[in-house]
Amino acid sequence: MNFKLVLRLAGKTLLVEAACMALPLVVALLYREDPMPFLLAIGITAVVGLLLSLVKSDTAFHAREGFFSAGLIWVLAGVSGALPFYFCGDFASFVDCFFESISGFTTTGSSILPAVEGLPKGILFWRSFSHWLGGMGILVLTIALLPSLGGRTLHVMKAESPGPIVSKLVPRASQSSKILYAIYFVLTVVMIVCLLLAGMPLYDTLVNSFAVAGTGGFSVLNTSIGGYQNPVFEVILGIFMVVFSINFSLYFLILCGKWKQALKSDELRFFAGVVTASVLLIAVNISSMYGSFLVSLRHAFFQVTTIISTTGFSSVDFDQWPEFSRMLLVILMVCGACAGSTGGGVKCSRALLLLKCVRREVRQILHPRSVSVVKLDGRVVDEKTLHTVMVFLGAYVLLALMAMLVVALDNFSFGTTFTAVITCIGNVGPGLEKVGPMGNFSEFSHLSKLVLSLCMIAGRLEIFPILVLFSRGAWQKV
Amino acid sequence: MDIIIVGDGKVGYTLAEQLSLEGHSVTIVDTSDEALRKADEALDVMCVKGNGASAAALREAGAEHADLLIAATSMDEINMVSCLTAKHLGTQFTIARVRNIEYTADSSRLKRDMGIDLLINPERAAALEIARLLRFPPAANIETFYRGRVELMSFRAREGDFFLGQPLSALSDRVKGLPILFCAADRDGAVIIPDGSFVPQLGDRIYVIGAPLGVHEFFQHIGRYAPQVRSVFVVGGGRIGYYLAAILERMNMRVKVVEQREARCRQLSEDLPKSLIIQGDGTDQELLESENLAESDAFVALTDRDEDNLIISLYALQRKIFKVVAKCNRRNYISIVRDLGLDSVISPKLFIANQILQIVRGRQNTKGSVMNTLYKIGEGGAEAMEFTVNQTTRHLGTPLKDLPLKKGILVAVIIHQGRTIIPEGSSAMELGDAVILVSSGRAILDINDIFDDSVLTRGMER
Repeated sequence: MNFKLVLRLAGKTLLVEAACMALPLVVALLYREDPMPFLLAIGITAVVGLLLSLVKSDTAFHAREGFFSAGLIWVLAGVSGALPFYFCGDFASFVDCFFESISGFTTTGSSILPAVEGLPKGILFWRSFSHWLGGMGILVLTIALLPSLGGRTLHVMKAESPGPIVSKLVPRASQSSKILYAIYFVLTVVMIVCLLLAGMPLYDTLVNSFAVAGTGGFSVLNTSIGGYQNPVFEVILGIFMVVFSINFSLYFLILCGKWKQALKSDELRFFAGVVTASVLLIAVNISSMYGSFLVSLRHAFFQVTTIISTTGFSSVDFDQWPEFSRMLLVILMVCGACAGSTGGGVKCSRALLLLKCVRREVRQILHPRSVSVVKLDGRVVDEKTLHTVMVFLGAYVLLALMAMLVVALDNFSFGTTFTAVITCIGNVGPGLEKVGPMGNFSEFSHLSKLVLSLCMIAGRLEIFPILVLFSRGAWQKV
Repeated sequence: MDIIIVGDGKVGYTLAEQLSLEGHSVTIVDTSDEALRKADEALDVMCVKGNGASAAALREAGAEHADLLIAATSMDEINMVSCLTAKHLGTQFTIARVRNIEYTADSSRLKRDMGIDLLINPERAAALEIARLLRFPPAANIETFYRGRVELMSFRAREGDFFLGQPLSALSDRVKGLPILFCAADRDGAVIIPDGSFVPQLGDRIYVIGAPLGVHEFFQHIGRYAPQVRSVFVVGGGRIGYYLAAILERMNMRVKVVEQREARCRQLSEDLPKSLIIQGDGTDQELLESENLAESDAFVALTDRDEDNLIISLYALQRKIFKVVAKCNRRNYISIVRDLGLDSVISPKLFIANQILQIVRGRQNTKGSVMNTLYKIGEGGAEAMEFTVNQTTRHLGTPLKDLPLKKGILVAVIIHQGRTIIPEGSSAMELGDAVILVSSGRAILDINDIFDDSVLTRGMER
């Protein structure tokens, strides 16, 4: 393991993060708030970052360094991102700050704050801005800005980008990450313009746009988006949550004029099918709760898009919905968005591959000697990838079960324990019951909060980088 | 004609044999000493050793003045380059065997850029033929003329057929009224062109020609109509197997392909999303049974070994599969299995031979009427061919009964202004008509070859 290089990369990432903290500092100054938390945090992060980036190293960089550094750097970024929260004094302990910061970077949006409306604007801005940074990946950003790793950066992209099959858009990795960030940036700007035109105040627009673009879900109102009582906002946000949960490489295809190829994507069709079916099913299921079918359709649309995109806003308290709708939403939390988007969950493409593998297995039993390949978008998925996908799904379930066991020590109800872990590992935000859309995570013990934080990173980095970070082999010299 | 054949494999050798028998001067180019020696000993051809894609070897074979070059090596790329080089050297017409579907998908560009005048893909042609047979199972073979508007089908006369034992002229009016013609019969290897006095016998292989609807009605009339084929069992996933399965998938038939090579199975399963690909030995009866052979409507044997194909086809016949088709390149086997009831035997090698003979005759006869299609009938050397009548054709407008036709020539169908006519004595050929002729024995290059001019001149002298 090339620790020196990993540390240098970590240093550079921290420098980028320190630079990013300048934006909430400006916001704090504009609203005449105390700039000290940010100044301190920037100071510490920058000094540590500078020291680490001075480490001399060679450029031997392989897959294991990519996975290891992704795991390590996300933990470090979470710690330094927690500093402004810690220095502002509104949080009870550093563990709470760490949970909140990780929840921001991993675009989860689970909060330990019972009420957010009284907090300084600068702090709330940083909280949401971390969604935007984490959505596309802080390492990818570092690579785009400081392409000093040479040709080996694809390993980092692979470790940080979601989805079973990660490929470059263009021959150069740093160029690819620039294109991804450019698409991300332009789509965010378009959303900001749409929300401003619809009449949302500028500050709220920025904060909500960051939250939607990263599919995070931190809100500036206690009752989330429902607090605006504005159907137009809900529809705009709902549409953009769908936009940000679609594979970004499809947008690149569309930019290149390959409309048809983009629309033929199996994963996109699967995603569209799941969203449509869920919206209709839930709308019918809850229609008795709201006067008209149109209103229930609106609420169903917003809740389904926010959950499947793993944003985690809410326009109504869906914890009050019938059991069928609640169960369906929990299933959507597990399923998650498309690969290569900013969303979390196990990803639609993996769910689709699982279904295809099950079908093939049944066929294999009926015709033991039959040979069939699994295809995605008309191309064959090789057996190695399928194997990795199946192991991933197994590890995902295993990790969730183990986390549930630890969280169960707090002795909350089954629904709370189960959905708290599901929502954290899926990077969604709200769960059901105590952690439902109107609840929060403040009542959990420190141990549970740390475990849930790790679940969030594991979910965001798709498990293996975290397992590599904690494996003995990664730390041994030989 | 001066003809160069590049590649002395199965196809190249057959072509050289056929073409030299027809009196052309043939030069074979190949890199293998052994293959060339065999050709040199057995055939009246010239042999040149060398790379068929190189200008030096082609020049030595006389490509500057050759009329025709046929590139039939096992490599598509060599065939294409060979055509390109020959065309630049001055060869008039080039034919390349190209089997890779990635190349043939864009054949017009390939023809233009590579100087290839004709691309032939015998495997695909064979698959199309098998698909035709599966679409209309009662026929043992089906050939099409005039873009599918006329079909020539053969079947075997079996016990209980009502037309046995009586001359054709004694058939009921209902059968005579059908727009079809008994155009040939194959009896113990000899082809007979039937007239009204012809008496069909048990075991004859009878050829009928006509518009598809008429032919189908005839088959219904003699009680050979069968339910549609819905599921097909294919053994052998080579090129023909792949093409066939792809065609059948489009026809909404359920296809099962048995193939032995694991890697090939994966490739097939990638290219044939709707078919079921089974990895295993297709000659293993245990496997065939476990995959429910008896439930299939049709069985097609396409492995590389003729013997295996025939044996498992006979097994499938025994299991009462309704339609069985086998691939067999050796002609001497075909007659043996025919007696055991296996009628539909496909020989890809023959397709090339037919197609190329048609081209060669067409090139020989550039001034006369154009030959559109040529098929060999039976083993007796009879041929069915389609011509377009033009100004050079003599005796236009003369009723058929007054025409001095040579012996063994039948004017089977006249297509006049798009209408298919089964000619009677009063019918006549007009300018622009398409004419389908059946000839037993002699090679016909032009419509004018069917007229017996000796009779005519003798008559004038008298």
